[in-house]
Amino acid sequence: MFEPFTDVVPSFFGWINQGPLTLTIFLHTVIILPMIFIYFQEKKRLENEE
Amino acid sequence: MANKSVWSDNRFWQRSATWVTGFAAILLIWLTFDTSAQISMGTDKDIQNKVTKRVPGPTVINYKITYERSPKRGLEVPIIGGNDGKGNSLFQEKEKFFGRDDWSEKEARAMLHLGKLGSQAKNCMDCHTLLGNGAYYAPDLTKSWLDPMWEDGTMQAIIGGTLGKELSKEEAMAEFLQHPELYPTHARQMPNLGITKKEAIGIVAFLKQMSSIDTNGFPRNFGKMKGAINGK
Repeated sequence: MFEPFTDVVPSFFGWINQGPLTLTIFLHTVIILPMIFIYFQEKKRLENEE
Repeated sequence: MANKSVWSDNRFWQRSATWVTGFAAILLIWLTFDTSAQISMGTDKDIQNKVTKRVPGPTVINYKITYERSPKRGLEVPIIGGNDGKGNSLFQEKEKFFGRDDWSEKEARAMLHLGKLGSQAKNCMDCHTLLGNGAYYAPDLTKSWLDPMWEDGTMQAIIGGTLGKELSKEEAMAEFLQHPELYPTHARQMPNLGITKKEAIGIVAFLKQMSSIDTNGFPRNFGKMKGAINGK
């Protein structure tokens, strides 16, 4: 599942490029999770507006 | 209005887009600095201290360069001055370059600079590819120093035979660059571009240093050529 780190020097971008799993974890952390957070905030706002 | 959906709410999409765009912009700026640090050329000190850089310093032309498969990375990597058996360079085995293996950093840098300018002035990329830039009308030059036709002495024999003397790899390459029309090696023949002897030496140094750059196995088909890796 986790591939060994094989880049020349360790770097954050090397970690993302390690395989599909690391990229998926990264993109979910920075896009999906914040969007879920924004979703619930906006939902609350809409409910309060009523 | 209880049934107003968040999905049809403008603000939700605005905030999501702002976040993703902003974060991506920061990430790209960071990537720019991360990349420029990784692709900046090493120094002679790095080689002395046996530090593997993606782009080794100019004095790498004093060392023997081979192309070998790294079992750890699953691709071919340039090995400088001998392999430790695990796909890492030892920076030990030297190789004479135009009769010397003690080119100073300053001299080597000047040669590479002349070679780089020469390759641009003669527009090598009009036909060849260098590090992914250029054309595929003529062979890819990224790893040309390690080309089996030069590694096994075929080209040296052709060029040395014509001139009636024994030539080393770099001497034969420099001779080829000055008079390519005399040595038809390919269905498409390289024209004489009026390269001077000094420029030719610089271009050969430039090509040797380029072949020592770790390109993550690019060009992929180079390793499939007979004799390209570990002489196989």
